Amino acid sequence: MKTAPLTSTSHSKASEMEERLRRKAQWVRSTVLEMAVKAHSGHISTAYSQTELLVALYYGGLLRFDARNPKWNGRDRFILSKGQGGIGLYPILADLGYFPLSELENFAGVGNLLGVHAEWNIPGIEVITGSLGHGLPIATGMAEAALMNRDEHLIVCFLGDAELFEGSNWEAAIYAGHRGYRNLVCIVDRNGQGVLGPTDPTDRRLAADNPRLNPLDKKFKAFGFETREIDGHSFSEIFEALRDMRSSKRKKPLMIIANTRKGHGASLMEGKRLWHYRVPEGADLELTRRDISQM
Amino acid sequence: MGSTKFILGMRDQFFNELYKLFQEDPQAVFITADNGAPTLDQFARDFPDRFFNVGIAEQQLIGMACGMAFEGKKVYVYAIAPFVSLRCYEQVKLDVCAMNLPIVLIGVGAGYAYDIMGPSHHTVEDVSIMRALPNLKIYSMADGRSAGELAALVHHDRSPQYIRFDRAGLPEVYAERGIDIGEGLTQLRSGSDLCIVTSGVMVHQALTAADLLHQSAGLNVGVIDVFRLKPLNGEALKKHLHNVARVVTLEEHLLAGGLGSLVAEWMIDEDLRMPTMRIGQDDRFVFDYGGRKAIWEKYGLDVGAVVARIAGWMRGESGKVVKVPRLEAHGVPQGTAY
Repeated sequence: MKTAPLTSTSHSKASEMEERLRRKAQWVRSTVLEMAVKAHSGHISTAYSQTELLVALYYGGLLRFDARNPKWNGRDRFILSKGQGGIGLYPILADLGYFPLSELENFAGVGNLLGVHAEWNIPGIEVITGSLGHGLPIATGMAEAALMNRDEHLIVCFLGDAELFEGSNWEAAIYAGHRGYRNLVCIVDRNGQGVLGPTDPTDRRLAADNPRLNPLDKKFKAFGFETREIDGHSFSEIFEALRDMRSSKRKKPLMIIANTRKGHGASLMEGKRLWHYRVPEGADLELTRRDISQM
Repeated sequence: MGSTKFILGMRDQFFNELYKLFQEDPQAVFITADNGAPTLDQFARDFPDRFFNVGIAEQQLIGMACGMAFEGKKVYVYAIAPFVSLRCYEQVKLDVCAMNLPIVLIGVGAGYAYDIMGPSHHTVEDVSIMRALPNLKIYSMADGRSAGELAALVHHDRSPQYIRFDRAGLPEVYAERGIDIGEGLTQLRSGSDLCIVTSGVMVHQALTAADLLHQSAGLNVGVIDVFRLKPLNGEALKKHLHNVARVVTLEEHLLAGGLGSLVAEWMIDEDLRMPTMRIGQDDRFVFDYGGRKAIWEKYGLDVGAVVARIAGWMRGESGKVVKVPRLEAHGVPQGTAY
């Protein structure tokens, strides 16, 4: 599948596309929920903060890939560095034909292809990322090699914001900025939540909160990235930010800081740390199903 | 006594051979974490688009290597041994071994080679932890000739590989006799009374100890250099230990998980019941200065101590590790001696 970017379509076609993507995002959220319910496991809320971004990348013509030939050399290397988000990517990969949809039905079950974290043996997944802070260093190696090989594909590294406390990201950021990888596009799912607390606490006396990440854009700028900050649930802002991601004019790696809400779409979960790795049951499950169906 | 004198070492003989392979193979790339060598300058000079310095950033070193290996490169990464093994262990586990990529980790300064630099630079636990990684081959070299011959072998092997080199130039063992590098171990000397199974710098100690044991006690002592620690060539080892009465393992490494440990595990798995004694470092960090020899002497790893231990054991004394005081001069707890 090699589609033209959305920006080349007319305004009405863009609206049609957005509606199609909205429905797709709704289907992804619903599928994630049912996968997690059946397996009694899975990071639902983190999958919900990234949904629009992944849907735009895969269904909006932004990423180059060929589901029938997952290792096609011309593909963009998409690295899901926040490996716990795998449950939110698997429905998309199955829907596109990387593997049968039936694999979703027995998520993390005996003999199943798909587990909690992204693993490299899954068609469409490039590298193992269950441990955080691995994606960006690997992406720099892929970017360097692509330039050496004169390949035109992009390396798209999708990060969680709480993942950025791992120092390896900053080792990689120093190097990526120094080398000026124009073929490297990073997206941070800035949902503002770690496991115990926010990634940008307002009161440093709250001992369980994470340390402060902000000002994140200034930090990446200082490391040599071009940064853009968007609403990560807005398709129009996502497309606007990534419109020129293949431009050869850019001499720096690109960092999209996509502000999102953890658990977006599920009123029970939005912004609530309790739901980092919890699966709803009973009335909670019904409420969440209803929320998703009304998105 | 000061630090060990630096002369052209096995690392440099390896790099000189590797340089020739780089001339032939445009897919070969080299990444250093700001660590140099006299023979490394030619890579930066002649292959500037295939030589990278990521700075002192070992997580980036391995992650970048992973990304490049994915894209078809044969990647060599280089740092001081503790920093290319322990510092970035999880990257080696996941980014290299779990994805079975053609990356060669080159660590310089095995054991106490960085003698006066303290526990930060001592590398006496790398074999234990690197052994635990599936897919990884581990080499531990004893001289420049074998290190040079290793270059072609590792270059044409697509497995993840870890090489631990000594820092100093060591006397040649293989210059005259040559080496079958694919064999993984060499019986340097045969002897029916006892065989010392060893690796790296301790190969030289073992050869001297064998001579002394012959001269002083008339013992016929064999020496086996296990330069590929993983996978161990068990078949060849079994053959060389046939009709040998006793086995001693000798290593400049912690006993926990090192060469002695792997030989003992192998013996159990093979149902070989041979009287065996392990000589290596006990459960401790070393804060002693004065050079490598001083460390060996203090902790029973020098030739004299090794000979005394073996001779005593042959006379029926305990084969256990010699006890040393728990508290050292500066009051530093030295761990448990048994």
